[in-house]
Amino acid sequence: MTFKTQSIEHPASPETQAWLDEEIAEQEERFNAIASHVDSLEPRRRQWYREFFDRINTLGFNADGDSKIPIALDDLPVQPEGRKDQVVWKHGADGD
Amino acid sequence: MARPHIEPFCDRDVHFKNMTLPGFSPGMRYKMLSLDTDSGACSMTVQLDAGYRQPPGFSWAERELMIVEGELRVGDRTCRKGHYFYIPPGYAMPEIATSDGCLVLMMYNTSAPSHEEATEHHPLAQTALYHDVDSYMDIPWAPGNLVKPSVASGCMIKLLNYNPISYAMTFLYFMSPAFFQDNISYHDCAEESYHLWGTSWMMQFGNLPTGGYFWRPAYINHGAFASELGCIALGRVDSKLFNHFHYNPWTTPKENRDRAAARVYQRDPLLYRWMVSHSHNHPHGPEDFEQTMARRGVDNKGEARDVAKEGHRHEHWHGVHKHEDHDHGH
Repeated sequence: MTFKTQSIEHPASPETQAWLDEEIAEQEERFNAIASHVDSLEPRRRQWYREFFDRINTLGFNADGDSKIPIALDDLPVQPEGRKDQVVWKHGADGD
Repeated sequence: MARPHIEPFCDRDVHFKNMTLPGFSPGMRYKMLSLDTDSGACSMTVQLDAGYRQPPGFSWAERELMIVEGELRVGDRTCRKGHYFYIPPGYAMPEIATSDGCLVLMMYNTSAPSHEEATEHHPLAQTALYHDVDSYMDIPWAPGNLVKPSVASGCMIKLLNYNPISYAMTFLYFMSPAFFQDNISYHDCAEESYHLWGTSWMMQFGNLPTGGYFWRPAYINHGAFASELGCIALGRVDSKLFNHFHYNPWTTPKENRDRAAARVYQRDPLLYRWMVSHSHNHPHGPEDFEQTMARRGVDNKGEARDVAKEGHRHEHWHGVHKHEDHDHGH
């Protein structure tokens, strides 16, 4: 995708800027709706995590391709105290 | 600030809008998938109505196109479902038209959508980079182990575009029916996907159906993975794809990024020391959460829980180094 070396500088016209402003506002709404939807999945996600831990404990964790390593129960992670189960991060490591 | 995390999103849930930007012909409608709020770069599902015709011309942005449904006439050629185009900025395309209508993925990579009528390339266009291919008919599927550690068998790819400088890639991929992969992954690059057909599942986000889409910034957890009946999708990454696999669903992007840096330190300590010696001077490398995270086992519990409460644990060997909130030397 973005090749970084591939662009020809060209100033945005007023029409383009107006279009961008409208799209940015709509994207903000879209992001909020997605974040809210994903938050609502939390109870199901809790169950999915339980099932995942059970599978990697019994069938194994895919370490590379089909190579699977069973993870001992003692090695399974614990949710840090006070940490929300957050899976949508608006700007990844650069935000939130 | 670049493109936000859009996941999951399904374009079937929203209506097409008329394209109103100057330069584009009537009969072009779009659904915005994601947009870079700084540059205007974006990915869109585009419906070209029956009879649509766009005169020859170029875009100021690097762009990629993929025909999802229907036929598109490009100059004298008729291109069908699965045809992919990589078009450098300033590269003048011939007239494009469709008699019966056409659904296209359009990705403007470096700035907002634009069309300048022209029959000649812009002087700055790197015309040799242009390429197009019928990705469905003219490229064989290859194993997904292009990178190591790799995805599980049952996920295969067709490489459509590759940047030898940034290692950015565009590719088709499929998951076979009954595919599953039990790990959590994150990458050092942003990742994008559009489901051309079928449904896949990820443990954080649930099902992603036909028309499903995500733009995911770097270092965000995703997976475990599964697909009950299989799926085929267009995927892209904006720099080198490395699969950081783990099994802790509660890590943050910052912790994941620290771990990625820690792994560079563990694997290439000399390179790491040289890279960081003039700014963020951590002679021992950043924290690798796999070595410090709280685990269920009693032996690890005490130390790990302390780490979880404090948010970080740091042993300072020597030298001066800087944290986000303070500088100190000792």
